[in-house]
Amino acid sequence: MQLIVNGETVDADVEEDMPLLWVLRDELNVKGPKYGCGIAQCGACTVHVDGMPVRSCSITAKQVEGAEVTTIEGLGTPDALHAVQEAWIDHQVAQCGYCQSGQIMSAAALLAIYPEPSDEQIDRALSANLCRCGTYPRIREAVKSAAAKLQGA
Amino acid sequence: MKKTLGLASALGLGVIAAMGVALSHGSGDDDAAIDLVVNQPEGDVSREEGLAAWDRIFAVASHPRCANCHTDENNVPMWSGPSYGKTRPHGMNINAGMSRIGIESMPCTTCHTQSTKPNTIPHAPPHTGHVWMLAPVEFVWFGKDTQTICAQMRDPERNGGRDGAGLVEHILHDAEIKAFITWGFNPGGGREPAPGTMQDHLNDMVTWTAAGMPCPDPAG
Ligand code: FES
Ligand code: FES
Repeated sequence: MQLIVNGETVDADVEEDMPLLWVLRDELNVKGPKYGCGIAQCGACTVHVDGMPVRSCSITAKQVEGAEVTTIEGLGTPDALHAVQEAWIDHQVAQCGYCQSGQIMSAAALLAIYPEPSDEQIDRALSANLCRCGTYPRIREAVKSAAAKLQGA
Repeated sequence: MKKTLGLASALGLGVIAAMGVALSHGSGDDDAAIDLVVNQPEGDVSREEGLAAWDRIFAVASHPRCANCHTDENNVPMWSGPSYGKTRPHGMNINAGMSRIGIESMPCTTCHTQSTKPNTIPHAPPHTGHVWMLAPVEFVWFGKDTQTICAQMRDPERNGGRDGAGLVEHILHDAEIKAFITWGFNPGGGREPAPGTMQDHLNDMVTWTAAGMPCPDPAG
């Protein structure tokens, strides 16, 4: 099956109903999206599918055939970070880090639609990305910084 | 689909379309179709028969499986019913927004994907063949009594512009695309289904509409 991952068309020899997260991590060696729960309860596996945030553990390879899948590896690179990634570093958001690629992908999706989200929007958009380390106050500040950066850009 | 989405279509999917992004992805393989038969009554249907059919329709509409997503203008889906214990708002601070599809913060489809596959995993967000969403805000059922829901359902201003035939057609169309009504009778994952079967529900809708959509007193 052909998938488009981070702008590249890749062949994946997988069953159609394999969850996208499995395809990414185990078949394509894209390890940014994390496995937390496997049932769309934690958000650690969040990627973008055609720009929208999606829990990759709960969507099948078949469902994303032909769609643009973006993982944190495709959001920005170490040399050219996405504004959200930059803000995450500035605010030192991560604690253990496990949830953070999912948090960043959800935040980037929110900002793509709402360049100036309210606190309420930020909280609503990110509450379903569980962070057991409790980094939410820093997440909120980082999203605001990223929004300001994107506005200035 | 337009009819089903109502207000949400205007506010939510319109935004998505304008942005050129898609909420809806391939829904995977189809499973066996649901075969429904429209059993038109022979002769007149009495008000009593119509009211008896309405009682069963109300039992479906007010069941948590259906009512949890027919909530008011606060746009918060509910978690209630035997699977949940105490009635409470959907966890994770979820708000579907005025769009009723969550686009204002996080789309419902982030977790509730669109798929016609059976729902098998307990505690996983359920999916249907329709983009996941709250019902349009004018279809409030959660916590409403039988008269209130009946008055809403027969009012074209508040039921998506449907007459009796339209309400019957709505059920048939839902079965075709395996949307929310279909899911309500077969929610999977250990969830309690709405009472009866989809065919029973269709029969009741045919009977109730043939009887002129009578509502229990005092609504008339
Ligand atoms: S691993 Fe996908 S939501 Fe938890
Ligand atoms: S940083 Fe540890 S779970 Fe979020």
